[in-house]
Amino acid sequence: MSTGNYRISKAELVELQNKRLRNLIRYVYEGSHFFRRRLNSAGISPDDIRSREDLKKVPFTTKTDLRDNYPLGMISVDRSRLVRLHASSGTTGNPIVVAYTQKDIENWAEMNARCLEITGVTSQDVVQVAYGYGLFTGGLGLHYGAERLGTKVIPASTGNTKRQLKLMKDLGTTVIACTPSYGLFLAESAKEEGINPKRDLKLRVGIFGAEPWSETTRRLLEEKLVESANDIYGMSELNGPGVAMECMMKDGLHVWEDHYIVEIIDPNTGEVLEPGEKGEMVVTTLTKEGMPLLRYRTRDITILDDDVCGCGLSHARIKRITGRTDDMLKIRGICVFPSQVEEILTSMDGVSPHYQLVVDREGSMDKLMVRVEVAEDFKSDRLTDLVALQRRLEEELKDTLSIYAVVELVEPKKIPRSEGKAQRIVDMRKI
Amino acid sequence: MTKQFSVFLENSPGRLAKLLDVLGRSRIKVLAMEIAEAGNYGIVRMIVDDDEKALKVLRKANMAVNQTNVIIIDLEKITPAVNALGGVGVNIDYAYTMDSRKVVLKVNKEVEALNALSDSGLQVYTNKD
Repeated sequence: MSTGNYRISKAELVELQNKRLRNLIRYVYEGSHFFRRRLNSAGISPDDIRSREDLKKVPFTTKTDLRDNYPLGMISVDRSRLVRLHASSGTTGNPIVVAYTQKDIENWAEMNARCLEITGVTSQDVVQVAYGYGLFTGGLGLHYGAERLGTKVIPASTGNTKRQLKLMKDLGTTVIACTPSYGLFLAESAKEEGINPKRDLKLRVGIFGAEPWSETTRRLLEEKLVESANDIYGMSELNGPGVAMECMMKDGLHVWEDHYIVEIIDPNTGEVLEPGEKGEMVVTTLTKEGMPLLRYRTRDITILDDDVCGCGLSHARIKRITGRTDDMLKIRGICVFPSQVEEILTSMDGVSPHYQLVVDREGSMDKLMVRVEVAEDFKSDRLTDLVALQRRLEEELKDTLSIYAVVELVEPKKIPRSEGKAQRIVDMRKI
Repeated sequence: MTKQFSVFLENSPGRLAKLLDVLGRSRIKVLAMEIAEAGNYGIVRMIVDDDEKALKVLRKANMAVNQTNVIIIDLEKITPAVNALGGVGVNIDYAYTMDSRKVVLKVNKEVEALNALSDSGLQVYTNKD
């Protein structure tokens, strides 16, 4: 097996997108009660949408729409054609259910295979998938991609870190797919097991996603675990992982534009922004059959880069996700993203990249505290150095976030480690 | 030269007990100790009888720890010692007593300090003495 031809020109891509968009609008209009009502109430007939430029007339679809139409109110095909159902964790109220036809699963596999391929992964690689297998789409998505590319796949799933390391060592894993925080955890645990990943393991590529991470985390991962740490993007509503992937140039993530149309909007006004402007990513799925989505608000904050990449691919790139509108903490009216804090912490000696943001309310005033672990090899015997480190962190945070945050230095390993998505925020405000 | 261990600890009940427990379990004796605190954290400085073992068990317990060279002298010779050090421009960053007869000094210039003490006929001890 191998990937299809996705190395096509910009002009071919645009033409393909417009053709698929016209088909999609007709498809959902005929297949989905939800979208027919939506388009009708906006006064749009399928013939009004001829190209990408017309898309801005179409109303947004939101996470709330998916919740309100639980479980399968959003599908556009007859239920008999569905072959797979995944569900997201519903922390409040109903989860979100996503539905796939056989063709959807095939496209999903194809896109994940491309994601691996553009980082240099070949059929000769051994890919250990340490994303969760199950209702979460991460594990199965990468699994299908790796299989499609013809690699050897180890479906390790999450957890049991000792076993993960043993498998890597004994089976010669060359590609690890997991969250970046788990990647750091693996590197730490390896040390405790007496394994030096750089010497004892053969990890060439890391496929890191499912949570925002920073350039400094990349440096750490490349220094301690893998030769090349690459960012992958996706979400269950858009099939799962494999919507976009960083190529070897590591200058943004290629969105598979033959399958998705990406727009960046101002999250407050809904207005479409120009390439280069930062805003919320909105995605239209062009090829999904089971549960296509029109202008889905991802809540992820990024920038679109439409220039042809140094790697030769014409698929547009999104910048590394800088935050999620849901992860965004509003403190005294100012937006704070955990990634901003991470960028500062990881650039400083004496502290580790493990941190937690604690928000509390004192009277009517929100207070932000950043708890950060002192590095195990902190270099000083002087209390004044620690106090200076704390002050410097507080100053850097103030400069970047525009609000004052108290820094609390804690002992190594005091911040809870997660084997899935990192719990970076503790919000103790009672509103 | 003697190695001093500096351990970062949160300033909360039970943390020092945890540190001493880690050392005690490996039969490592604490010969001298001092705590410097700043609000919710502090640094515990100490001299132990087995440096190599102490470093190993502290690292294994995931403690933030580092080692610094210090000088141990007789407490009753403290006056001539500080005169000798001051005379050659050596600053004492901090000091604390050890088993009531000795004193541990952290200085900014080790070599100059050792030379000055030796020139004045003052004895320097290690954690093995």
